[in-house]
Amino acid sequence: MTSKKPLWDHDAHSLHDLFCEGAASAEEIVTSHLERIRSADSSVGAFLYVDEAGALEEARRQDRWSAVERRERPLAGVPVALKDNIVAQGMPTTAGSKILGEFRSPYDATVVVKLKQAGAMIVGKTNLDEFAMGSSTEHSALAETRNPWDVSRVPGGSSGGSAAAVAAQMVPLALGSDTGGSIRQPASYCGIVGMKPTYGRVSRYGLIAFASSLDQIGPMTRSIRDARLLYEVIKGADAHDSTALALGEERTVSQGPWRIGVPREYFGEGMEAGVRQVTEAALERLRSMGHELVEISLPHTPYAIAAYYLIAPAEASSNLSRYDGVRYGMRAEGRDLVTMYEKTRDEGFGAEVKRRILLGTHALSAGYYDAYYLTAQKVRTLIRQDFDYAFREVDFIVTPTTPDVAFRRGERDDDPIKMYLGDVYTVTANLAGIPGLSIPAGLADGLPVGLQWLAPRLGDLSLFDAAATLETQLEPMVWPMGVDE
Amino acid sequence: MELSDREILHVARLARLRLTADELEPLRQDLNRVLDYVSQLQSLDLAGVEPTLHAAADQAPLRKDIETASLSVAEATKNGPKVEQHMFLVPRIMEGGSDDE
Repeated sequence: MTSKKPLWDHDAHSLHDLFCEGAASAEEIVTSHLERIRSADSSVGAFLYVDEAGALEEARRQDRWSAVERRERPLAGVPVALKDNIVAQGMPTTAGSKILGEFRSPYDATVVVKLKQAGAMIVGKTNLDEFAMGSSTEHSALAETRNPWDVSRVPGGSSGGSAAAVAAQMVPLALGSDTGGSIRQPASYCGIVGMKPTYGRVSRYGLIAFASSLDQIGPMTRSIRDARLLYEVIKGADAHDSTALALGEERTVSQGPWRIGVPREYFGEGMEAGVRQVTEAALERLRSMGHELVEISLPHTPYAIAAYYLIAPAEASSNLSRYDGVRYGMRAEGRDLVTMYEKTRDEGFGAEVKRRILLGTHALSAGYYDAYYLTAQKVRTLIRQDFDYAFREVDFIVTPTTPDVAFRRGERDDDPIKMYLGDVYTVTANLAGIPGLSIPAGLADGLPVGLQWLAPRLGDLSLFDAAATLETQLEPMVWPMGVDE
Repeated sequence: MELSDREILHVARLARLRLTADELEPLRQDLNRVLDYVSQLQSLDLAGVEPTLHAAADQAPLRKDIETASLSVAEATKNGPKVEQHMFLVPRIMEGGSDDE
């Protein structure tokens, strides 16, 4: 080992270099991260499943690779965690629900195939709100996950396990999924980098479907360069997912200075003072770097949550109809088929999932479809057009990722509307299909605040490039359960 | 447009959810609060606005229609809660069997 710091304290780029140079073996890297999981995860609870034997076996296999074979694979020697709604062959997949029972996937998700081809070592599966429905990971039916910055607080959600695992340095890289902010919000709450790609950039084959017109898989990491690396590995067309776009030209922008849009609707009521302060300081830094800040309007923003909470449950009610106790997962016995379906679904689904299935079924049912689902899809058009107009004027849009910092566990249990309103800055990117990136911008009262960057469709790489210029200007993050603790 | 218990039970039936009595009351309150919140969309003038039915409507590539390898029957059925000879067993579908109550 060339450096004194533990291997788990390195980012993916650094681990890959150490492995390629022969300064650390893959087995040493995996062992260090497994030890870190053992020591840190008892208080955090990020993982639902850790595949120690499988990760060590893969590490020993990679240790037999030549220097060239290591260099050919951009994630060789790098441990990765998967949100537990992404299937990997032979591993359990729960989606945070009881209804999947003892399910073990007979196949790999396309993103998992790509990770393995790139040399990543999959160490386990992370906790989430049941079927990714939630903003705190408190709706997991299986485990509690706590924020590594303050274990009395939530890690955010629904990719809360992945965010907490990365922030507590149990893995350098994790995958999450983002339907209304489920990567970016927990990234913000845990002080890490999280990115939702352009709709269609990453295959969802092997992602348990929640709302198919909104879902995207994306990277969760501690540095922007790692997020970019992971994004480049997982993106691309896929014969198994017809929504995955054929690889085309990604939008590029000049080196700057840029015109950066600051939407006035995102700076109104409801934002905590600490979040406002950190966001404004970051914007001021961008101005001092020579960029032009332009106040813009995204006038339909106030309607986004209402549209989202019709579209997402409607699609979920359809997607979740497959859990019927027949082909996989648990079954509750009933004397006839319909009784068996009903009892299985009643025992298998948690309260939030039932709430959304009922809402979605109602929104799609005869006599209500036009008033709810169709209306919401029209509002979605207006929200998309807001961004189309804005991006004629500006290169990027910068906003806070969330109106608040991580809240205390149990604080929003009883109030779905309040929980939903926390998604106000993130759902618009899903509705419009554009990419969004949350980076840690600083702390407010000792808790992380995320800054969200938005770009037009296919502007994914430009987002990483632009945000990276700011990353170098900000105070480096000090990790919450770091070496010196 | 408040939902009554009866309407919720109708929707639950459509969704194949069997709600218990103690689930119904909190669900009715929550659902009606959400429906009240989303009713703000009715205030928008949406005349002439096309619905967004797909987030990336300009592309939906199809794969070539050629045979490829897929899961074996044994692999595809191994997660079933009740499987016999690679078939999923289910309770009876028709009414009127000899053990009918």
